[in-house]
Amino acid sequence: MPSLDLGLGILDRQLLDSEGRRCGNVDDLAIEGGPGETPHVVAILVGPGYWPQRAGWIGRLAGWIGGGKRVRVPWEDVAEVSSHVKLRKRAAELGLGTGDDRLRPLLEKIPGADR
Amino acid sequence: MNKIFGLALGILAAIGGFVDIGDLVFNTAAGATFGYQLMWVIPIGVVGIIVYSEMCGRVAAVSGKAVFDAVRERVGFKAGLGALVSSEVVNLMTLAAELGGVAIALQLLCGLPYRWLIVLAVIGFAVVIWITSFNWLERIFGYGGLCMLVFAVAAVKLAPDWTKVGNGFIPHISQNNPWLYLYFVVGLLGAAMTPYEVYFYSSGGVEEEWKPSDLGLNRANAIVGYALGGTLSIALMIVGGVFFLAHGINPEHLGTIALGAQQPLGEIGLLLAIVGILFAVGGASIDTVFSGAYNLAQFCGWEWGRYRHPSGAPRFTITWLVLLVLGMGIVLTGVDPVVLTEYAVIFSVVALPLTYVPILLVANDRSYMGQYRNGRLANILGALYLLIIMVVALTAVPLMIITNAGQN
Repeated sequence: MPSLDLGLGILDRQLLDSEGRRCGNVDDLAIEGGPGETPHVVAILVGPGYWPQRAGWIGRLAGWIGGGKRVRVPWEDVAEVSSHVKLRKRAAELGLGTGDDRLRPLLEKIPGADR
Repeated sequence: MNKIFGLALGILAAIGGFVDIGDLVFNTAAGATFGYQLMWVIPIGVVGIIVYSEMCGRVAAVSGKAVFDAVRERVGFKAGLGALVSSEVVNLMTLAAELGGVAIALQLLCGLPYRWLIVLAVIGFAVVIWITSFNWLERIFGYGGLCMLVFAVAAVKLAPDWTKVGNGFIPHISQNNPWLYLYFVVGLLGAAMTPYEVYFYSSGGVEEEWKPSDLGLNRANAIVGYALGGTLSIALMIVGGVFFLAHGINPEHLGTIALGAQQPLGEIGLLLAIVGILFAVGGASIDTVFSGAYNLAQFCGWEWGRYRHPSGAPRFTITWLVLLVLGMGIVLTGVDPVVLTEYAVIFSVVALPLTYVPILLVANDRSYMGQYRNGRLANILGALYLLIIMVVALTAVPLMIITNAGQN
């Protein structure tokens, strides 16, 4: 099995859903495994709500501005880790990309938005 | 044949798009203050932007990553956030300065009040970006910016002493007011290596889905486009040196710069210069506003793209709209765009290492660059420029304080 440096190889990478849509970054990882056990990555954590644990008060401020959303993507839903992290499901099924989805109808009211 | 034609079109657009308000202000002011003594800085800056543009174009083609993707991945969340905030601040200042430049050029052409023209220009940009495809935008502003070539004609017509111009390309330090001289060295480098150009270039490469087979095109684009653009900087400095220095004029107003083309070429020269400035800073306004939106979207992982329709990347669209409004707000306060430009260029120099270090790291990363990672030449030049950037970044603000932002 090829090894993967979690810090450099997956953290902070772009997430792509099953249709190639950009739907967030890997903001943090959930790792489980007690002392003496092999630790496992169980989920990818996405959203500004995870920023405080990355960067102290600046992260708290940025996360607060960003709306503090948290989404947990189970590791089973990850299809591939290459230069991007590709997911097995569509963003909407995983609760990702909701910010874009919510704004889209508003923008579509302006003529020419979908030229 | 078609490919060569396409390349030529791209290069024409690049020449028109190279010069922005920072280059206009610093090159002319440097010429007006020190004659041709700072010529040598221009090629150094041009080679720097070529080296790093080529690198991040290559990263885009091979890994599909734009600059801010790479920044956050390589330096981590916390430093990445710092890079994001500083780049957004500098971008916004630059955007505001460019918008001010647009309004000044429009005012010279039509005489309406400055503040009205700021608002009109911003509304105009929003509508044009909303309804036209980016290909057209790029061409319109690139070709319009070619009117700037009038400064090259003016530089020749002004009949400078070419031996003195040539001597200016030999690096040296001025005995007369060395601090001010060094301030201009830093400003000229900063104006040539503006980071938004790199963000914009690499994001465009990702959007156009460059592949490793496009690497030749990437290299040609970067080298030829920026080198030819650099000749415009040289022309501006010559005009500054022959015309403004001799007449003791300090081109503190953008309109004054256009006078440099009027003297040798008459009214038509003046008109072409103003139109050229209008399109050059107008094109740069669009580049900066998109760069700001790219950086935020890439940091957060949102959908982005200038070739997408506005509803295809909603948060990206909202971001550039908000940035336009913020930029407008800044110039509406009445701050002088030329002063704002100087601050924007100097602060962008401070933030340069935060952008260029990650690019150099990623371009060397075997895991995603494979056989396309930096060769020896790219690494030697990359390291050399990183050193230059570090020195310049550390000295920029002290020099600005010592020289009172070039006012002494």
